[in-house]
Amino acid sequence: MRTLSVFLFFSILCSLAFYSVVNLQQMLLTFQSDFLKVGALLIMAFTVIIIARYLLLLFFSMLKTIKITSKPVKRSNELFKVSIIVPAYNEELVIVKSIQSLMQQNYPFIEIIVVDDGSSDQTYKLAKKLEFNQGNKSLVVLTKPNGGKAIALNYGIKKSTGDLVMVVDSDSKLSDGAVELMVSHFNDEKIGAVAGSVFISNRVNLLTKLQALEYIEGLNMVRNGQAFFQLVSIIPGPIGMFRKSALQKVGGYESDTFAEDADLTMNLIGNGYKVEFESEAVAYTEAPEELLDLIKQRYRWTRGILQSLGKHKAKLLHVFKTPSISLILWYMLFEAIFWPIFDVFGTLFCLYIAFIYGESSLLFYWWMLFTVMDVAGALYCLMMTGESLYLSFYAILYRLYFISIINVSKIFATIEEWTNTEMEWGKLDRKGRL
Amino acid sequence: MNLIGIMSIVILVITIFTLVFGVIAYFMYKIRDKKNAKRIPTNYEEKCIELGTDFIFFDK
Repeated sequence: MRTLSVFLFFSILCSLAFYSVVNLQQMLLTFQSDFLKVGALLIMAFTVIIIARYLLLLFFSMLKTIKITSKPVKRSNELFKVSIIVPAYNEELVIVKSIQSLMQQNYPFIEIIVVDDGSSDQTYKLAKKLEFNQGNKSLVVLTKPNGGKAIALNYGIKKSTGDLVMVVDSDSKLSDGAVELMVSHFNDEKIGAVAGSVFISNRVNLLTKLQALEYIEGLNMVRNGQAFFQLVSIIPGPIGMFRKSALQKVGGYESDTFAEDADLTMNLIGNGYKVEFESEAVAYTEAPEELLDLIKQRYRWTRGILQSLGKHKAKLLHVFKTPSISLILWYMLFEAIFWPIFDVFGTLFCLYIAFIYGESSLLFYWWMLFTVMDVAGALYCLMMTGESLYLSFYAILYRLYFISIINVSKIFATIEEWTNTEMEWGKLDRKGRL
Repeated sequence: MNLIGIMSIVILVITIFTLVFGVIAYFMYKIRDKKNAKRIPTNYEEKCIELGTDFIFFDK
């Protein structure tokens, strides 16, 4: 019954998408002036690229799922020692829960290193109380003057003795068995890193529910699709595992960007390593509950990614020499700059048509097409993760409210990055809802 | 007015509202951050770097 209703719903969505495309195309082709023709051409090109992006990611994500189902990843015969690095700066509300989730991991050979990055609160004191050493399992808490996340991580990596290094944010909690699941990928020598899934733990209001949906889509459509080629574009801060020799080869984390995780992933792929994705290894993390905090987070992410792209820009043109990194860089450039700009441009163009020619249905068809794709993508991802399907209804609000606001802040962040406006890290305040 | 017409007006109004709200929210974030930056107390290490010395001596 559930399969039939989902199939029916998908059919309705496909029909709506087709209806929107036909109407959009008909309206755009009727424009007479050159200005409108250029605008219509840009909108059509952008729409085609976005539809292709959705379909390709969905297609490769499905292929990846089929591949895993038909040929599960073999459990590692080799027992790698795993060093889990937890950088922490003023995380007294969440640090204990985070460490406890690491201590509960059933993998037998774990060394947990908490690096207190000069916190001015009780973080160090609370973490220090949990220190233990049972031979194969241990927890050590180090402290150093505040210097930023990248330096704290490198400090932890330097002190680690494991063959594999796992990085976990101090505001994140791991699911049971996450370490073991991620280790199993490292039998393949080419794998330099494995990304895990990130889920939102505090679904307390509309904003956090929309972010929960965004994360689920980002994971199961984007990251899973990229993982078909073993080219995941960003190892997320809350959960990522690295081969230590690979980290040493690329020089660890660099602190000259605000997106050290994206920068490191680009370095790894640029050095020929493969980056896998383990969907079953989950980190639960706190999302910003207030709009201004969310804008702050996305502003930092956008500028950080642009800084990383700037560092690696020479490789953008190495399409034949190093296709993997070139592809990833183009993809990230599209997501970080082109998509927000074209999305806002398309909306403004539709508004212009509505005001000048009194034709607001263009905006409606434009919105409906993308919303239908969002809902379809959300449904697929929710079914894959076993999450409640009710979240897919938020996909309607997702484009109408969430994405528009995020895109505006992304565009401002891009302008400020180009004009080299000074910025600070901007740590988010925790609510302690892990 | 048909359904498409009504929906188009609704989407139009919400879109304008959201875009304007997005711009306002961005500037509100910038203002809040500037205010917060002024309030952040400097710690000992940062003050040492700022003054270019290894130690700070306090007068009684």
